[in-house]
This record gives sequence, structure tokens and C-alpha cells, in this order.
Amino acid sequence: MADLDTDFTSGDAGASLTFPMQCSALRKNGFVVLKGRPCKIVEMSTSKTGKHGHAKVHLVGIDIFTGKKNEDICPSTHNMDVPNIKRLDYQLVGITDGYLSLLKDNGDLREDLKLPEGDLGKEIESKCWTF
Amino acid sequence: MMAAVGAPEVISQLESAAKVLMAPPSMVSTEQRQHAEHIFLSFRKSKSPFAVCKHILETSKVDYVLFQAATAIMEAVVREWILLEKSSIESLRTFLLTYVLQRPNLQKYVREQILLAVAVIVKRGSLDKSINCKSIFHEVSQLISSGNPTVQTLACSILTALLSEFSSSNKTSNIGLSMEFHGSCKRIFQEDDLRQIFMLTVEVLQEFSRRENLNAQMSCVFQRYLALANQVLSWNFLPPNLGRHYIAMFEATQNVMLKPTESWRETLLDHRVMDLFFTVHRKIREDSDMAQDSLQCLAQLASMHGPVFPDENAQVTYLAHLVEGLLNMINGIEIEDSEAVGISNIISNLISTFPRSVLTALPNELFASFINCLTLLTCSFGRSAALEEVLDKDDMVYMEAYDKLLESWLTLVQEDEHFPRGCFVQPAVQVFNSYIQCHLAAPDGTRNLTANGVASHEEEEINELQEDDRELFSDQLASIGMLGRIAADHCIPLLTGLLEDRVTRLHGQLQRHQQHLMASADPGTVDRKVLDDLYEDIHWLILVSGYLLADDPQGETPLIPSEVMEYSIKHSTEVDINTTLQLLGSPGEKATSIPGCNRTDSVIRLLSAVLRTSEVESRATRASLTELLSPQMGKDIVWFLRRWAKTYLLVDEKLYGQISMPLSTAFGADTEGAQWIVGYLLEKVINNLSVWSSEPELANDTVELLVTLVEKRERANIVVQCENWWNLAKQFASRSPPLHMLSSTVQRTLMKALVLGGFAHMDSDTKQQYWAEVLHPLQQRFLNLINQENFAQICQEEAVKQEIVATLEALCGIAEATQIDNVSSLFSFLMDFLSSCIGLMEVYRNSPETVNLIIEVFVEVAHKQICYLGETKSMKLYEVCLTLLQVYSKNNLGRKRLDVAAEEDQYQDLLLIMELLTNLLSKEFIDFSDTDEVFRGQEQSSGAGRAVSAADVVLYGVNIVLPLMSQDLLKFPSLCNQYYKLITFICEIFPEKIPQLPEELFKSLMCSLELGMTSMSSEISQLCLEALSPLAEQCAKTQEKDTPLFIATRHFLKLVFDMLVLQKHNTEMTVAAGEALYTLVCLHQAEYSELVETLLSNQRDAVIYQRLADAFNSLTASSTPPTMDRKQKVAFLKSLEEFVANVGGLLCVK
Repeated sequence: MADLDTDFTSGDAGASLTFPMQCSALRKNGFVVLKGRPCKIVEMSTSKTGKHGHAKVHLVGIDIFTGKKNEDICPSTHNMDVPNIKRLDYQLVGITDGYLSLLKDNGDLREDLKLPEGDLGKEIESKCWTF
Repeated sequence: MMAAVGAPEVISQLESAAKVLMAPPSMVSTEQRQHAEHIFLSFRKSKSPFAVCKHILETSKVDYVLFQAATAIMEAVVREWILLEKSSIESLRTFLLTYVLQRPNLQKYVREQILLAVAVIVKRGSLDKSINCKSIFHEVSQLISSGNPTVQTLACSILTALLSEFSSSNKTSNIGLSMEFHGSCKRIFQEDDLRQIFMLTVEVLQEFSRRENLNAQMSCVFQRYLALANQVLSWNFLPPNLGRHYIAMFEATQNVMLKPTESWRETLLDHRVMDLFFTVHRKIREDSDMAQDSLQCLAQLASMHGPVFPDENAQVTYLAHLVEGLLNMINGIEIEDSEAVGISNIISNLISTFPRSVLTALPNELFASFINCLTLLTCSFGRSAALEEVLDKDDMVYMEAYDKLLESWLTLVQEDEHFPRGCFVQPAVQVFNSYIQCHLAAPDGTRNLTANGVASHEEEEINELQEDDRELFSDQLASIGMLGRIAADHCIPLLTGLLEDRVTRLHGQLQRHQQHLMASADPGTVDRKVLDDLYEDIHWLILVSGYLLADDPQGETPLIPSEVMEYSIKHSTEVDINTTLQLLGSPGEKATSIPGCNRTDSVIRLLSAVLRTSEVESRATRASLTELLSPQMGKDIVWFLRRWAKTYLLVDEKLYGQISMPLSTAFGADTEGAQWIVGYLLEKVINNLSVWSSEPELANDTVELLVTLVEKRERANIVVQCENWWNLAKQFASRSPPLHMLSSTVQRTLMKALVLGGFAHMDSDTKQQYWAEVLHPLQQRFLNLINQENFAQICQEEAVKQEIVATLEALCGIAEATQIDNVSSLFSFLMDFLSSCIGLMEVYRNSPETVNLIIEVFVEVAHKQICYLGETKSMKLYEVCLTLLQVYSKNNLGRKRLDVAAEEDQYQDLLLIMELLTNLLSKEFIDFSDTDEVFRGQEQSSGAGRAVSAADVVLYGVNIVLPLMSQDLLKFPSLCNQYYKLITFICEIFPEKIPQLPEELFKSLMCSLELGMTSMSSEISQLCLEALSPLAEQCAKTQEKDTPLFIATRHFLKLVFDMLVLQKHNTEMTVAAGEALYTLVCLHQAEYSELVETLLSNQRDAVIYQRLADAFNSLTASSTPPTMDRKQKVAFLKSLEEFVANVGGLLCVK
């Protein structure tokens, strides 16, 4: 799925890529930017230094594009960047020369995405031909 | 087969098999290993292997083969007992004993196994009058008197083996005899032989304690006999009456109290026995291993009770001697670390065992010395426990000992009316003082000081899983709080003074920091050491104050403790009410700066000391010093205020025999004091929620305080008069900072509090306005969002999703606020949302966490509301739930879950669906709706037009859930419990629907029941048993034979029969299993008779046969022919209890 990367940098015209949120308001399964990468939060825990210390949040996230794990720890009062994630579902209508033909909601076709390699690609291919 | 082969061949065969078994895994194949195992198994089963075994023992050099030979003898003797000549058994036993005696160098495990065989022979013979095995004690006593340490050790091993074998615990070998046999052996043994063993042991101990110098070998023998004595004194005496003990006795019991039979009177009431153990302990106390045994012996003696005492006088004399011995032992020695727990066990045992009347009958001086000693010991253990904490020791022996002693204090003072008045006040003062001292920093206290007075101060990382001190030390704090009440005159002013002092210092310290910050503007340079010390002092002072002033009972109305009430009343004549109120109402001022502050009520002054702490905290936040504050202290403050408010705020005079004027004037209903404090608490909550949104635990404690303020109507009435309350409601509804930064659980609880507040007393205009502020914006925002034309395009945007999630959380909060008098309006409000929520299921089908949250809303609504709903309303809820299930099922089609070994929370949706179904079912047995009384005639009854029933919804849901529940999923405890709760409810509530289930579904339901009955926890097994009766009744009703359900119940009859009659089962289950058995017997009478016949025909012993046959007859006597009639069923259950007591032990075999 690494080739979807380009999507992240382009974004919608005018919309900001991220917005700030206080660390304590983040929730598991939500999104956050860790080490400059947009991540889905898979683990979130708090700790403090000393009994009278202030809370710190320990975040573990999975990069939504590369699947790589990122971690960060920060004071819970800090604002973290939350990426503006937009999810689009396409219907697969065919595969030509290793590229997918995808039907958008508005009827347009999108044909710039490669068939993923590996098992996932094979599965997509086999399902596509059974139509 | 083995007997046919000559002995030498057998030996060589066994020896080579042993070689295979002992070889490393890489050297032999699995088949070879299995083959070798098989050789040993069949060897042990061979008929009369005695000659071969003797030969092996005498010639073989392979230890493992020797071990197997011993095992074979043991098993064969029991198997062939009746066929064997008694004299050959005798000679066999003598042979084994001599064999061991002559071979001091045997491997330990071989020797123990041979002695075990001897013990089993003795035990098997103990009920057989034709053989006398008693001579063994004579032999053993001769061994002991030999004076040879090796021989004496062997004697000890023999006695230990006998003890384990007769104890009928899990240490007993499995010899295939009935529980009744084991029980009878034990009973005979404990009357006579056990005492003989004890006497032998005491003699040995006496002998050793007299000797001056013990060499290593001898003290090793000494230690073994001491351990043996401990084993005897920890004997779980089987009471003479039979009953259920048969069944339960093979359970391992821990911490047995010594309750010997009458025949032990002479032995154990002999003072010399107790003296001996004190002497022994004095001699060996530096050896930590032995000291553990000697102290445990004394602790067992301190727990002695029962028929061994002829009367109370004997108890008094015994206890007096024990206490004297204990005081002599403790006084004048420096207690070793290894003694602390043992000594505290002795004290805790004697305080919990001996009745108050015996304690008070002790000579006055002795009792006083005992209490004095206990006081000193408690203080000293407390200090050592604090030291252990500083040094961060793994093994906290003093902490354990201290806990034990504090628990004993609680037992003592809770019944202090039996003791001379005021006799515990001084001790309480001392223990309380020492606790406070250990928890305060130097110079007032000794916290974090090591033994040589060096302060250690380490900042460690603390994770969220670590419990708060108020939970972690709740037992200690409860005891200290109780002692504080006993000595209220001293303790309340002490706490107040210390807290006021710390707060003043904290205030000063923060001010200095502020000035410093203004000068340098670098918060990094602040030294937190002084602040942290103050915070920690305040932390403990508030915790102790909270536990002293109030209890936190679950589900009851907490009352002001009588000691605190009396204390306040006692001093009320010296108190100036106005000054007291002034002190209370001015938390911003120093208490001591108020004129006449010494003539104020001390209970109120302690509260106001906490309010002063709170005020310093709030002011610091306003001065932007939040970073310097301690969130822990913030938690302590709101925790205290909540506990306090539950008990004292709007104190209800009707609940008390006498009430203190200052308390009722300051906090009673319709008082200015109460109004002021409600306003103050509300302000505190609002301030905390905005300042501390980043501290989840503190925010949570804060919002819980808010719930406490509004969950009682009387308090809520005052709350809603505060302008602040309305501001809070508006602010939350607008979903703007700072409240929307709170964690989701806090927001949910906040919503709950806001809804609860809406049901306070208000005029109708105000009420309307309130709901317009609180609930309508929620609805409006939600509708605006989902009705947007482009919702389909924007719905996956993070901001939109967050708005949706916030709404769903709020809906859960609203459902949580349901009470009987608000359900009508809340239900209508929530129903409007539920259908929209179903639409969202489609929209967010690829976002599991949102789907889960949507289902959770349904779960909460069903959980909190269904029991109040009338027919029409319930129907509406069923319908909407059915639609939810349909959508869920459609979306689940073909869905793959990531991997089978995934974690539990992957299946959250499944769990929630099952929870929802169970909640819907609960309507059938918890129903508070009184023909829609709560809905005041809003609806017309429409029984005829029932569109959807609970059964339809639930069965539809089960259709979805059952195929998804695999055996793997049942390994997750939460899923497993919920699943069984659901399916057994269905069987109980809709048995008529079960036969109509599709075949596959029916089969898997029956499999689940069988699995749950036979191989799950006892709780689930019980649930499944309870489900069987309604199923059987259903079959009886339809009178159709050969239906799948009819056949299934026949199978269950056999299962339940075996379970009740043949297996050792949990006694709690007898009733559930009995009811199931009875209905199944009614249904399948012929099959039942067959089962009984088969069982009887397997009995070879004529006496046992007759007993069993009689027992089975009387079991069904009162219910012949069995019919499904309540009266007969009850009679059957009663007979069953007798049946289990009479012959349960015969059939249950170990």
C-alpha cells in the first residue's frame, strides 16, 4: 500500500493537513501525527514521574500508509497534531496491465493505482475475475 | 503376562525401559518413550507382583526401577487386599521397613515412595480388624530412642508419610477407595494414632531443647520434628457428624484453625506442652527457617477452640498461660525480621479465636500488659514497615505483620463495649501517632528516613495501573481511621493542626515561587523537593481524615460515625456557632487568624482545613501556577469532599438518636451553611474540569463528586439554584473548550450528572428552559449534521466522526442517568436517536470502534430502562433493536476478522450484542413497570397488536451470535460468561422456542450446554444445570417423543446422574443439579431406573449393595411416581441431600 503515499501529501485544496488536540483528549483507535507520520493510535497509556508528578501520555501508533510502528511520550497538557484523514471507498471494475480501474462515487474512473504486490494483490485479482 | 517371565528377564526389561525414559529427548523417539512407559504401566498392573518386586528391590541398581517396584507393591496390595493372607501383608510391611532401615543411602525419592507404600498398607489395614498394624508405632518409638540421627530422621519420614496419607487432603494417594473409607480412617486416626505421633514428637523436641550444643546433623533432625509438630497442630480435624464433609474434605484447606476433639483435652491443656514450644522457639529463634515452624506451632495453639475446652474457665486459664508465655517471649528480646509475621499471627489468631468474655476474664494486670505489648509491637512494626518501603524491599515482612496487627485492633475496638470503658483510648493515641509520624516528612515525622536518619528521595515512574494509596492501603487506613475515632479527642485536633500548618506552608511556598518566577520567568529552576514533601504530608493527612470522618459503604446510606457524633456533641457547649460558621465560610483565610478560632467545632474545623487546602490549590491555578501543583493532592481533595458530602451534607436528623448542634446548624437541610458549601463544591468542580482536563484520574474523581452532588434529590435541589450549574450545562452543550478536552469517560459521566440535575425541583418554566439548554442542543447539532446534504461525503472526515462519537458518548451518559422517575422523558428522548443510530451503523460499518459505540448506546438504554417500560414502549425498543441486529448481521456477512489469535477487544462487538440480548431478556424477570404507571397514561394498552416480542429479537440475535462463537472464543472469560448467561436465559425464559430452532442451531445450543456443564467453571456449570429443568418441562408439556429435544434431554439425564452420584462436585451445585435431575427423571423414568440398575450391578460388596439400593429407594420414595409438581420436587431435593450425605462418600472414589 506504500504507493498510496502520494495522497497524504496532496490533500484537499485549502483544508489544513492537521489540527491540534490536547493529548488527553486523544483516544485509542483515533489518529495522531507521530514523528511526522499520520498514525492510528493502537495503544495509549499514562504515567507520571513521582507520586506528585503530572501525567504523561505514552502513545503507540501504526503509520496508516506504511504500517510502521511509531511511539511517542509527551506531557498530557501538550497539543498533538491530528491528521485530517479522509477515507474514500472505490469500487474495483477491472485490472489492466497491473493497474486498477476504480470507480468513484461520482462516476469518474481512477486508474493511477497499482495492483498491490503479494497475497493481497493475488486475492484482489482472483476476486475481480470471478465477477 | 509379567508373572510368566522369570524375574531376571523382568529386571533387564525394566532397566532398559528406564534407560529410555531417562534419556535426553534427542536420543529416543516418541514411540520408544511411549513403549517404555507402557512397559512400566503394565508391570504395575500385573497380578501379585510381590515376589518379583522384592527381588527387584534386592538386586536392581537402577533407582527408577526401585521406585516403580515400590509403586507396584503399593497398588497391588490395595487391589488384592481381600485375597491376600493377612500374615503375608504383615511380612511385606516389615520387609519394606527393614529394607529402608538397612539402606541409609537410598535415593530420597525411592525411600519416600517405599515409606508411602508402608503408610498406605497401614491405612488400608486400619479399618480391617483381622490385621493389626499398630505395631508400627512401637517400632518407630524404638527408632527414635536409638539416638542415631539417621535412624531418627527415618522415623520422622515414616510419621510424616502416615500423616499425609491419613490427612485425606490432596496429599493422600489415589488408591481407588471411597471417600467414606478415607473419612472413617481419618476419624479413627485422629483420635488415637495422631495423638501418639504428637506425643512422640513432643518427646523428641523436649530432648533436643534440653541439650546444650547441637551439631549440624542433630539440628537437622530437630528441624524435621518441629515441622512434624507443626503438621500435627495444623491437622484439619474431621468433626464427628458426617454430612457434607465427605464431599468437601478432599479440597485443600488453608489456614486451618486448631479444633481438636475432646480426647485431646489432657494432652493439649497440659501447660508443659505450650511451655515446650515457647522454650523451643527461644532456643532456635535465630534460625529463620526453624523459627517459622516454632512460631506457626504457637499460632496454631493460639487458635485452639472447640470441645477440647471443658468450660470457659479452662479457656481463661489456657489463654492466660498463652499470653504470659507470649509476653515473656517478646519482652527483652530484639525481634528478628523473620519473627515479625509469626508473632503477629499468634496475636491475630488469639484475638479472633477467643470470645470477648474470655479476654475480659483475664487478670486485669495481664490484660493491660498484653494491650501495652500489642501497642508497642504495632508501633514498632509500623516503623519497620515504613523502612521497608524506603528500601523498596521485595519481601515486605513487616508490612504484612503490621497489616495483621492493625486488623486485630479493628476486631478489638469494634466490640469495645465488652471492655472497660476507655481502655483502648491511650493505645489508640499511640498507634495513631506512630502512623502519622511514619507518614510525615522530617522534622515532625520520619518518612523516607532510612535507619541511620538519611533521607532518601527517589522519583520513580508510576504507571496508570498502580493503585492509588487510598485503595492500596484501604485496610490500614480503615483501622487507623477507627482508632482515630476511638481517640477522637486527641486525633481530630492533631490532624487539624497538622493540616492547617502544612496548608499555610504550602501557601507561603507557592507565593515564593511565584515571586521567583516573576523575576526569572524560568519554571525549570524551581526546586520541587520542598513542595513535594508538603504534598506528600497533605496527601496522607487528607486520607487519614477521610477515613476517620466517614465510611464509604456500598449501597447504603452512610452515617456519621457515632464516635465522631458523640465527640462533637460532647464539646458543643464550649463551641461558638457563629465563629464556627465564619471559620467554615472563609477558606481563603488562615484559620488561626480568625478571632475565637479555638472555640469552634473540631469536626467542622477539620473539614475546613481540607477546604483551605482546596482554596490554596484553586488560587494557585488562577495565578497560573498549575504546573507547580500536585494532581495527586487534587485527587485527594475531591475524594475527601465526595466522601464527606455523602455523609455530612444535608445531614438527616431522623437517622440519628442524637445530633450535634454545630453539625446540624452548619450542614442541615435549609441552612445557609449547606447552600454555601454546595456552591463552593460546584465552583471547585468547574474549576477542576477546566484546569485539570489533562489529568484523567483527577478529572474523573472530580466529576464523580459532581454526580454525588446531584444524585440525591435534596442536594440536587440546591445545586440547580446555582448560576454556575447552568453555566456548566451551557458550556458542555456548546462542546467548546475546555470541557471537550476531557477524556470520553469523564464527558460521559458529566452528561449523566447534568441529566440527573435536571430532575431536581424546579418550576415548569425553569425546567423547560433547563432541558432546552442541556438536551436540545445535543439533538439539534446531531440532526443538523446527519441531515446535511453532503453527509455521505463528509461522514468519514475526522472532525465529523468526532462529533458523532461525542454524541454517542453523551447518549450513553444520558441512559446512565435513568431513574424510575425520569425514565419516561429520557426514553422518549433517546428513542428519537436510536433509529438515526441504526443509519450510522451503515455509514460507519468500516470503523469498528464507532460501530461498537453505537451498539453500546443500545446496550445502555436496554440495561437502564427496559425494566421500567410498559408494553408499548418495550415493543418500540424491541423493534429498533431488531433492526439494529439485522443491519449488524448484514454488515457481518463475509466479514473477516484479522486473525484467530487476536485479542479479546477484537470481539467487543460480539460481546456487546450478547450483552444487549441479555439485557432485553432481563425484562422477563425484573420488571418494575406497573401498567405504565411511570408514563401516566400516555399510551393505550395494545396487547393484541404485538408486532415484535422479546423472544423474536433475542432468537434472531442468537442466530447471528451462535455461529460466530467458536471454542476458541470461549477461552476469553468475558465472552464465555456473557455467552452462557445469554443461552441459559433463553432456555429458562423461552423453552417453547427451543424445539423450533433450525437443526444446526439447536445442535450447537445443546453442545454448548453440555460443554458448559462438564468443562467450564462451576459458575457456568450451574447456569447450564439451571437451564435443563425448563427444557425437560417443555418436553413433558408437548408429550412428543423422539423429538430432538426429547433425545437431548435423555442424554443430559445420564450426564447429571453421573455428575451428582459419581463425581466429586462442588456442594453449591447440589441444588441446581438436583432440580435438573428431578425433572429429567420425571421425563425419562425408565432410563433412570436403568442407570440405577447398572450402578448397583457393578457393586460386588453385598453390604454396600444393600446400602446403595436402600439409599436409591428412599431417594425416590417420597415422589413415586415422579411428577412435575413443586411439592414432590422439594421432597426429592431434601431426600437428595440425605442421599449425598449417606452414600455420596461411597461412590466418590479416590
